[in-house]
Amino acid sequence: MTTAALVHVVVSGLATGSIYALMALSLVIVYNATRTLNFAQGEMLMVSTFAGWTVYAHVKLPLVVVMLIAVAAAALLGWLIERVIIRHAIAATHFDLLIITLGLSLVLRAAAGLAWTHDEFPFPSFFGTRPIALGPVRLAPVSLGIVGASLTLMLGLWALFTRTRLGRAMRAVAQNQRAARLVGISVERVYAASWVLASVVGAIAGVLIAPVIFLSSQMGFVTINGFIAAVLGGFGSMPGAVVGGMLLGVIENLAPLYLPSSIKHSVPFLMLIAILLIRPAGVLGRVTRPKV
Amino acid sequence: MRSLTLAMGAAGLLLWPWAAPRYFVFLASLIVVNAIVAIGLNLLSGYTNQLSFGHAGFLAVGAYTAAIVATRAPGAPVVVALLAAALVTALVGLLLGVPCLRLEGLYLAMATLAFGFVVVEAILNLDGLTRGNDGLRVPAARLGPWALATDGARYYLVLVVGAAMVWAALNLVRTRTGRALLAIRESEVAAQASGIHVARYKTLAFVISALYTGVAGGLFAFVVGFLSPDAFDVFLSVDFIAMIILGGLGSVPGSMAGAAVLTVLNDSLAGFQNYRPLVFGAILIASMLFMPGGIASAARRLRAPLAGHPRVAPGSRPGPE
Repeated sequence: MTTAALVHVVVSGLATGSIYALMALSLVIVYNATRTLNFAQGEMLMVSTFAGWTVYAHVKLPLVVVMLIAVAAAALLGWLIERVIIRHAIAATHFDLLIITLGLSLVLRAAAGLAWTHDEFPFPSFFGTRPIALGPVRLAPVSLGIVGASLTLMLGLWALFTRTRLGRAMRAVAQNQRAARLVGISVERVYAASWVLASVVGAIAGVLIAPVIFLSSQMGFVTINGFIAAVLGGFGSMPGAVVGGMLLGVIENLAPLYLPSSIKHSVPFLMLIAILLIRPAGVLGRVTRPKV
Repeated sequence: MRSLTLAMGAAGLLLWPWAAPRYFVFLASLIVVNAIVAIGLNLLSGYTNQLSFGHAGFLAVGAYTAAIVATRAPGAPVVVALLAAALVTALVGLLLGVPCLRLEGLYLAMATLAFGFVVVEAILNLDGLTRGNDGLRVPAARLGPWALATDGARYYLVLVVGAAMVWAALNLVRTRTGRALLAIRESEVAAQASGIHVARYKTLAFVISALYTGVAGGLFAFVVGFLSPDAFDVFLSVDFIAMIILGGLGSVPGSMAGAAVLTVLNDSLAGFQNYRPLVFGAILIASMLFMPGGIASAARRLRAPLAGHPRVAPGSRPGPE
């Protein structure tokens, strides 16, 4: 295999990888606030992307506006879910919250099926289809665009978490909820902000990936790879989510070249099992001890 | 009063094939099969707090084992096929349970989810044994000279095995082992401090849970008569979780009630496939928000309205930390 072809495969791996990274980030944001895995993340992403697409199908607005609509829908959806359901379960255990988000994912997927059918729809892309030639290497604009947009968003998130009051409050809650409350942080507001932020990040990932995998009520399933990416990087760690996503994307794209095609579909799961066996804390995660 | 109710219930179950149309006899068999899975899952999730998203995988292992035994050894009695299903699935449970000891909460959920996917992929790839996507036809269960070829005969087989499994579970949860499992659910650290070998009991819970599901899988193979890998997807695992959540975590009768309600509901929604997940999802959310403890604790409160209080008082539930 030539180097040029290899570079092509790696770059498209990085493109899917950055989508996984965004999904992993949105899972980690909710996890850090509420200590629960949001099973409905993929379905929230799907519903927001559909909301943007519905407007686009009626009025041909520029794609940037479509993305803004999806983001607004996502913010509203995240806020509603936190306000109406999650907050009422504030006394619930993590186990209970996990079950609630599992139920939510079923409800949202079925509701999307009723509203938009279970068919696949093509989604307009920001990026052209003509490959860009860099010397002997030919790269798809979609790949480069996705990587670029994701990196920009990640930089924005990094700035939010390090440079703003809200971001610092969210990190404080992630570290120790009780101590955060003692220094005057409204934990409830951080909960709501986390759900809205996670939902928005998911929606952007959804709009970026929809042209590649098509828009359908089933598209939320790609979030399973977001889970795996987050575990690979160390669940709870945001740099870990990015590294895990990129790693998963590249390995998943390279694996079919070296492995028999029959186990191609199992690659992410085999990676998950391997990392859980070898290093459950993930690549960048810290090993925590249970406190009594 | 209590024994009278039980006797009437038993008589009703025994006479069911004479009273009900064929299809409802089949449905009743399915309820019992699902109840066995729900009890098995509850022994794991309700008693040791290890949530499994892979029980459809265990069910598949049991079902395919029984079907392959029945096909390859045509004269073998059904007991042999069921024992094989139980042993193979328990072994798989042990193999999965030992590495899963290191995991808890969502990591365990992810690992078992992955297990479910890997089982389906394995069935597709081992097509010499399982016939892959074409599906596997299961011969009628044999008991000595008889072939259990009618829905009624299969119902009695399922009922007898189911009764034995329920009896075993009811006794198990009252033994030293059952109490050790409950102690682990309440606090792993405290259980360990009281001298409970946490790793051993958690693995045991995995093995017993897999064994129950394996037996149910074997019965499922004979009741349905045809196996294909797509029947064992992750949504089936979610259905099993819904059964124990609705029925009540940590309750054997609750598991049975949850299995019965959701199996009947699933069947009556067969014509409305688009609404099915909507209903099941709503049940999951509503059970958690309004009926923690499920049917089992609701029934307890109904029976003793004054003394009744939830399994854990709402105020004392640990919040997210």
